[in-house]
Amino acid sequence: MKASELLEKSERVHFLLGNEAVVRGLYEAGVSVTATYPGTPSSEIGDLLYDVHNDLGIYFEYSVNEKVAFEVAASASSLGKRAFVFMKHVGLNVAMDSFVSLGISGVKGGFIILSADDPSLYSSQNEQDNRYLGKFAKYIVMEPSNPQELKDFVVQGFDISEATGQPVLIRSVTRVSHMRSVVRYGKVRERESTISKPDRRNTVLLPENSFRLQPLVFERLRKVVEQGFSRSFINIEGQGQDLIITSGSAYNSIKEALEMLGINATVMKIGISYPLDAEYIFSQIKNYKRIILIEEGGPFIEEQINSIIASKGLKKEIYGKISGDVPHNYEMNVDRVKGILAKIYGIPDKSTLINIDLPSRPPEFCPGCPHRASYYAAKIALRQKGWKDYISPTDIGCYTLGYYDPYGFGDMLLSMGSSIGTSNGYSIFYGKKVITFIGDSTFFHAGIPPIINAVHNNHPMIVVILDNSTTAMTGGQPTPENMGIKVKIEDVLRSIGIRNIHRTDPYDLKGTVETFKKAMDEEGVSVIISERECALEADRKKSKDELKIFQVNQDKCKLCYNCVRNFTCAAFYIKDKKVYIDPELCDGCSVCSEPLVCPFGAIEVVK
Amino acid sequence: MTSIVLAGVGGQGIITLGKILGEAAILEGKKALMTEIHGMAQRGGRISVDLRIGDYESAIIPNGSADAILGFELMETARNTFKLKSSGVIVANRRMIHPMPLIMKVQEYPEKESEEIISRFKHYYLNADEVAISVGEKRSLNMVMLGALYGVGILDVSEESLRQAIMASFSNTKVGEINVKAFEAGIATVNEEKIL
Repeated sequence: MKASELLEKSERVHFLLGNEAVVRGLYEAGVSVTATYPGTPSSEIGDLLYDVHNDLGIYFEYSVNEKVAFEVAASASSLGKRAFVFMKHVGLNVAMDSFVSLGISGVKGGFIILSADDPSLYSSQNEQDNRYLGKFAKYIVMEPSNPQELKDFVVQGFDISEATGQPVLIRSVTRVSHMRSVVRYGKVRERESTISKPDRRNTVLLPENSFRLQPLVFERLRKVVEQGFSRSFINIEGQGQDLIITSGSAYNSIKEALEMLGINATVMKIGISYPLDAEYIFSQIKNYKRIILIEEGGPFIEEQINSIIASKGLKKEIYGKISGDVPHNYEMNVDRVKGILAKIYGIPDKSTLINIDLPSRPPEFCPGCPHRASYYAAKIALRQKGWKDYISPTDIGCYTLGYYDPYGFGDMLLSMGSSIGTSNGYSIFYGKKVITFIGDSTFFHAGIPPIINAVHNNHPMIVVILDNSTTAMTGGQPTPENMGIKVKIEDVLRSIGIRNIHRTDPYDLKGTVETFKKAMDEEGVSVIISERECALEADRKKSKDELKIFQVNQDKCKLCYNCVRNFTCAAFYIKDKKVYIDPELCDGCSVCSEPLVCPFGAIEVVK
Repeated sequence: MTSIVLAGVGGQGIITLGKILGEAAILEGKKALMTEIHGMAQRGGRISVDLRIGDYESAIIPNGSADAILGFELMETARNTFKLKSSGVIVANRRMIHPMPLIMKVQEYPEKESEEIISRFKHYYLNADEVAISVGEKRSLNMVMLGALYGVGILDVSEESLRQAIMASFSNTKVGEINVKAFEAGIATVNEEKIL
């Protein structure tokens, strides 16, 4: 998307991705400071801001991790500036400490944190529902349903945050952030041009200050209800005997499911799910006998509705996650909602899913990916040294795919940086036979404290830093090594006092195998920096003449299948038991032509 | 009201196609909704895009209700037929991209099995990659596919709007023109009955 399209003053419509609509919202709201650490499904907000922030006059940075990004935005808010920080749901766990504190401090300039949750785990380790974290830290929780609302809630969220003094959590999900639809632009506000110093009695959380602030938190939250914000974000549609309460992405499936089943029901869509306006909701629900709650994630609204109903001494038939009528897991869609409603209403759900039995297509390393070569070399080194009993914690990035056959690396993965963290513990039992893998961006994000711990507490291990000089998995965002004032991994390692630091190019299989073997003989902490640019990034820079393609010379091929069974590049394929290379997929990296992959020299360059 | 599933493998230009088709619908004052499903891989993983033109709220197409599948890769086309209604249409590219589990086990691509599944519905085949190369830009494969989809006559969007949306999506006019050429070549595959 071009900056000129985002800067348009006219209120014309655009076909925007949810994440793009957020950026337009930031522009309309007159936001000053934005920061993130990339994470799907929120990454495109950063991709776009990175390109256009100068044109929009917004400060933007890729921070080293989510906690720092949060603090960059929180400090701007304390100066009276509107500030925005965004991340994937698990990123909020990293920012948690400061996140909770800001709920107590409150804000001066409007403050929004956007959490992109991932129901159905398209690209995450869990499907945690961050509305609970918002409530826990006393944030105002907003749930947009589509790109238009994402944009509008950003603008309105800043107003509500400033009117109440409390920070806002916008909870998006994959289906909203990655939905593309018609978005109508609104007016662009003036940006706050002055700076005012922080009110220290609110922003320094000494016990004395926090003690005084605790009750104020609830006063600020009460304003959200008293000033009518909670109520104004409730829409009631349709008319029926029963009431369906919903929010966010789940709302989008209700109408079509009702139509398919031929049911009429009143639908209440909740835009601010914390704090709720209990009196208003009571007035709206008291006449319905049956209430159905369909939401994305946990029974977040359901628990609050239950408590309103109980506190009023009402008796209702309630169908939701707690009653077991709505599943707790995975994202909602029309088919699921239809199935849920059909069961509640006792209508036969006639839809049958046809069964299609085809081989799966799991994610895989791209052709030319340096990680494949690193793992292949590591396996050879382990075999040559006779190390069968080793343990290999892994981390979060494209290289996590080394878990799958034929590479089979990865014994534990909890979170960003946990590879080295858990290696500290494993080394108590495995000594030097801990071989742990981490990417360059992840190393900067959360790998430095645990490697200091390893040196300091004398935990021997081999740390393999797979350095492709980008944050590849989320689409190739920059890292501290290649943008701004550059920070070198090796300088960091040396400053900690690590002496055994090896650099290797994974495309040089023989050299990389030798490097691994050398590290395996050393005492203490050894680091191998396996360094080669991400193949996708490198390909973008290559001219057409530089692109090479390899093919299998069938006269030389002895059909040993080592290349497909153990190296397993995505560009290979099998036809009539013979191995071929798909010229459209071959990246020309040449690694498969190395004798360690093809001892018969059958893989040859063709151009 | 039209619901279309675009299915294929990462790197085939599927999302760009969806965007252009949606933009074209909006030029005509229609509503458009789109959602993409893709896993962790940057390349080689499955991708499917649900695109709906008309007054919808759910971007995800219910099972058995899509009007068409535009399939960029044979097995992924077959895999997504659970979304298609019985009277729906498939426009399928002949391209086969072999998945890793088969390669690793020295197994062949399920070409016959995929074709059998596709044959349960009204379908058209084309070699979009070849057409794109003949136009002079293999990356314009997605516009060839868009042309074929338009050519089989299930789109409620005019050729002119599509052309306009294609041009608008490329900042470089020359690249835009090549893509319009690919789009036209895609339509021609239908008119000339090159579609098999």
